[in-house]
Amino acid sequence: MATLKINGESKVFEATEDTPLLWVLRDVLGLTGTKFGCGIAQCGACTVHVDGKPVRSCLLPVGGIGDRAITTIEGIGATPAGASVQKAWLDLEVIQCGYCQSGQIMAAAALLAATPHPDDADIDAAMAGNICRCGTYVRIRDAIKRAAAARAA
Amino acid sequence: MSPLRRFVLVAVAILVVLVSAVAIWFATTPGPLAFAGGKKVALDAFTGAEPTGVPNDLLQASVEKRGEYLTRAADCLVCHTAPGGKQYAGGFAFKLPFGTLYSTNITPDKETGIGAYSDADFLNAMHRGVRRDGALLYPAMPFTSYTYVTDEDALAIKAYLFSLPPVKATPPANTLVFPFNQRWAMGVWSSFFNEGTRFEPVADKSPEWNRGAYLAEALAHCGECHTPRNLAFALDNRKKFAGALSAGWYAYNITSDKGTGVGDWRDDELFAYLATGHAAGRGTASGPMGEAVDHSLSKLAESDVRAMVTYLRSVPAESSRDLPPRVAVAAPASHKEGGGSGNLRGKRIFAGACASCHDWSGVSPITELATLTGARAVNDPGASNVVQVVLTGMQRPPGLVSMPSFGSIYSDAEIADLANYVTSRFGSKGSTLSEKDVAKLRKETAQ
Repeated sequence: MATLKINGESKVFEATEDTPLLWVLRDVLGLTGTKFGCGIAQCGACTVHVDGKPVRSCLLPVGGIGDRAITTIEGIGATPAGASVQKAWLDLEVIQCGYCQSGQIMAAAALLAATPHPDDADIDAAMAGNICRCGTYVRIRDAIKRAAAARAA
Repeated sequence: MSPLRRFVLVAVAILVVLVSAVAIWFATTPGPLAFAGGKKVALDAFTGAEPTGVPNDLLQASVEKRGEYLTRAADCLVCHTAPGGKQYAGGFAFKLPFGTLYSTNITPDKETGIGAYSDADFLNAMHRGVRRDGALLYPAMPFTSYTYVTDEDALAIKAYLFSLPPVKATPPANTLVFPFNQRWAMGVWSSFFNEGTRFEPVADKSPEWNRGAYLAEALAHCGECHTPRNLAFALDNRKKFAGALSAGWYAYNITSDKGTGVGDWRDDELFAYLATGHAAGRGTASGPMGEAVDHSLSKLAESDVRAMVTYLRSVPAESSRDLPPRVAVAAPASHKEGGGSGNLRGKRIFAGACASCHDWSGVSPITELATLTGARAVNDPGASNVVQVVLTGMQRPPGLVSMPSFGSIYSDAEIADLANYVTSRFGSKGSTLSEKDVAKLRKETAQ
């Protein structure tokens, strides 16, 4: 039996130490908002936060997490940065097919929490690992700037 | 004497002196244990635990079981297995500047393997580099190291290999160019560079040190990669374990030099690196060292790995001039600070493909195995190992986190920029690789 702190709650589950967190989230705990994309940390769809930092859950072994706090797309709206990102996403209708968007939102929320006023270079550095096949990149960039502005206001 | 005659005589004299000097230089190449000094004694005369053979808990095991342990310690598997091929059936390619050599089939198949070898034949191959048909082996087979293996241990290895299923497989023909395709010449080479003697312990060193020496020199043949070679491609023990580039990978300095070797590693760090291929803050073994860990060192008894650490500690410091004497601390958390900022393409690739696991700081949020901070590879301005890992990825240790290969995704020019960025950001001296350098490194490791 293992325990992880996910979205503020203690979750108890059964999994071997080398199981990637994504498997536990989706298959064991039913938190299916986090998506499986490539499985090799190259697309960003599985991004969650570990102690506020964006991490690819498809490669993160649950045995190495310890008592660090995990936040998933289901819980990100409870954080100030996450709430403003979600609102900006809706305002600008960023999403097309949506598959990558939980990862995009998680990456954007982590960026804004660490860098409240990101410039284009900051957005590139933080978001380059999150791929969108629909090509919503322009709206993603606008929404990040809008969320930043809304938080500053 | 005519001026012409005089000129010829002087020229010949100079030539003779030069050739003799080279011959004397080669002939006086020290053996791998020369650095230790002390009085060498016959194995029987050594008081204390036996430095040869197997660890205590295997002493009563069958000869095949003992042989299995020793075969692993000698790491026969990696070189005698082609990628994706049957174990020990040979065909692994050694790419040399003068052609390609293929390893032999050492399964007990009578026609294509070593099934017809007698004990004496096997010892001849191990100790002298002589095949059963009398042909001489190239020193890609490390017989100058295996020559120190006792007859008993060598024959235990044979017993183990003979207990395996025979595989009918003939490796591809070697493609060495003249004069390197002249096998007879290896006899001359061996007369200079193969001591041809069995291991003799040093009486005034501890049993643990002697066990470590036997493991490192006779079986594990560390020097074959970590000791630089001289003009004749023999190990230059004047710079023992000082590091060398071979087949596209840099086997780093493992002398006790504090700056460029492993002199400032703690014992437990060396132990962890050998036993698992990783020590916190020291990087993760990949490439040939990763294979050596996975197939050989990780299978050894703890006492044996500790003995190797004891031995390694005693190797005199030799500084590597091509490596910075200090490894860098973690890079800044922000992408805007730190080295390499002018290298826009390198940075862009890092942001898209690497930062999610390795972080802008180099300290991985996913696993300590992926932390770049402190690793020698990123603190090597030659950047060869960084390029190799980018090209091939990292699929070890088996079952744990893996890194995908990027060799078919990025061009040579892109990988050069990426390596230059990574070494500038995470190392203490950045590389300046070109597209051509990466193309060369790519060629050297292709099988």
